[in-house]
Amino acid sequence: MTEAAATPDEIDDLARRAQDGDRDALELLLAAIRPRTLNVCRGVLPFTPDAEDACQDALIKVAEKIGTWNRRGRFTTWLHVVAVNTARSTYRRMKNQAVAADPTESQAMQRPDPRTTSVIAGTRLDLLEAMEALERDHPQFVEPLLLRDVYGLPYEEIAQIVDAPLGTIKAQIHHGRRLVRPMLAESQ
Amino acid sequence: MRLPRRLGALLLTTALGCGLLTACNDDSSGDAAQPAGSPTPARDVSLPDETKAPPDPDDPALDPALSRPVEDSLYPDVGDPSVDALRYDLDLAWSPDSRTLDGDAIIELRSTESGDHLQLDLGEPLEVSSVTLDGAEVEFQHVGKDLVVEAPVTKDERYVLDVAYSGTPQPTPAPTNRTDFSTTGWTITPDGETWTMQEPYGAFTWYPVNDQPSDKAYYDFTLTVPSPWIGIANGVMTAQKEYGGLTTTAWHLSKPASSYVVTVAMGDYTRTTNTTQSGLEISYWVPSDRPELASGLQAAAAGLDWLKNLLGPYPFDSLGFLLNDSRSGMETQTMISLGATDYTTSTAVLVHEMAHQWYGDEVTPQDWRDVWMNEGMAMYLQGCWEAAADGRTVDAVMDHYAELERKARAAAGPPAAYDPQQFGQGNIYYGPALMWHELRKKIGDDAFWKLVRAWPARAPETNATYDEYLDWLVNRTHVHRSFFDSWLLDPTTPPRS
Repeated sequence: MTEAAATPDEIDDLARRAQDGDRDALELLLAAIRPRTLNVCRGVLPFTPDAEDACQDALIKVAEKIGTWNRRGRFTTWLHVVAVNTARSTYRRMKNQAVAADPTESQAMQRPDPRTTSVIAGTRLDLLEAMEALERDHPQFVEPLLLRDVYGLPYEEIAQIVDAPLGTIKAQIHHGRRLVRPMLAESQ
Repeated sequence: MRLPRRLGALLLTTALGCGLLTACNDDSSGDAAQPAGSPTPARDVSLPDETKAPPDPDDPALDPALSRPVEDSLYPDVGDPSVDALRYDLDLAWSPDSRTLDGDAIIELRSTESGDHLQLDLGEPLEVSSVTLDGAEVEFQHVGKDLVVEAPVTKDERYVLDVAYSGTPQPTPAPTNRTDFSTTGWTITPDGETWTMQEPYGAFTWYPVNDQPSDKAYYDFTLTVPSPWIGIANGVMTAQKEYGGLTTTAWHLSKPASSYVVTVAMGDYTRTTNTTQSGLEISYWVPSDRPELASGLQAAAAGLDWLKNLLGPYPFDSLGFLLNDSRSGMETQTMISLGATDYTTSTAVLVHEMAHQWYGDEVTPQDWRDVWMNEGMAMYLQGCWEAAADGRTVDAVMDHYAELERKARAAAGPPAAYDPQQFGQGNIYYGPALMWHELRKKIGDDAFWKLVRAWPARAPETNATYDEYLDWLVNRTHVHRSFFDSWLLDPTTPPRS
């Protein structure tokens, strides 16, 4: 049988100790949250090596920014936000790299083009593009919408994370959905 | 494919009202409800002929399943050493709407004593309708979870016991306060799907069994569920057929297994596969509405290749993974059962459960006090894998283990002398994992990995006792026995180098 995974309470406890400067607790925390972080990244980047890159980046971000967790909600909820944002950055970076490469050069054949080999194979490409578009005009809608519709968090928890009134969150999600819906593929 | 015996019962029950094979004293048997929308399998009760040879318990092919059954030192109420089961042939039909399991268990066994009875475990909620021994009806008592078959038996004679039963199985409380499970055995989801996890015991919640690890046996399963659901079990699926809206699958496990590494799940599943470098196809049985879960599991193939480099050839002829509604992961033999959580589907856990195929399934503790034999090595190999995957040193991983180990040993006891009500706590994982790392430092990498590879191959498909293992280790390594004893039996953690 597998050893029991850390419970949410145990993770919160490790995170508090890590915030207080306990290096061992931070190491244990990063090991404990790795599977969850990887799966959050997989939700955005279904191609496993991309998700693993994003997961590494996200864990580094967690270590750097753990001081900004406000201890009001679950640590794992805060982690979701960090992981989603990191996965989106990874996606952006890969897209830019792909565009920068000249497909007529033979070099391009050696480096896999993320547009065809990884991200594009994933089911969430349309969603990411829609989030990019939404971010240009309504950046404040992006996070609540992702937390609600991709990660299924309750409205109350989202309000706590983004530190906004519940009514505002509901309105942002409602408007965000209306703007994004035409950009999503049929199956979404 | 052989006729599914219980499918026959289902069909007859539906066609003729009160079942012919059951005693009609159960008011649910008259209206064995089929799931809404599934066809009524009643129009034709003529079924294919039984083609399989009748069971022959004296067949020497069963000899590898001969065991030395014992009474467990920690859980003496479960299992009974009067029986040495050789083969279980389980024919199980599941009706999700009525939550009814119709079972027919044919058990080929050796009586270990001369006397007037045989005793097996079978969950109290299951009603036994008939018991035959070598084809003749015999008396039985089913009190609590003890099924006592009253018949004169002779030491070392082999018999065929056939038990027909029916009911809604109930999981049994697990002797632990682990956070990820509190009961074991047959578990029913709100949708009527079923799964099992049953360490240290709990197989008895769904079939008559000597539910103690010292008694290994072969297994065959015939599983019938309403389509498009499917039944999945250990081993290889040898047949899949549909009869009138019901799907029947047959499964064969080709090497003997202890009851706690037996698994069955029934539900809406989709199978995908990939292949290891050495050509073993791995099956991934994932809930049909969550296909995305399959992609993360594919890392098992590379994980198995990594393990084979350390442990030698994979000991079995098939490997699969079965996702279920639990929150834990279990090394069920050749068909690993995993909860669909982030942690239990992570590659580290896949490696852990695959390592158990050598350490736990191929060679198995005789008694539950020695579950450290399984978990210590699986946790050590998991730690080595994590170190390699994350670019850390094994020493760094062991430092983490040591922090967890101290608390776990204090809370639940020494790894080989733990509190029986705290089964499966961190003490049986981290302590012996640290012991193996210390041993590796003492004898060097080459000698250590040779040792790790040699133990399961020493006596494949058997059980081992504490003394057998320690004698072997001392003999091979010339490390003093007190080194092992203190890691396994001392109330506090021995010093690390």
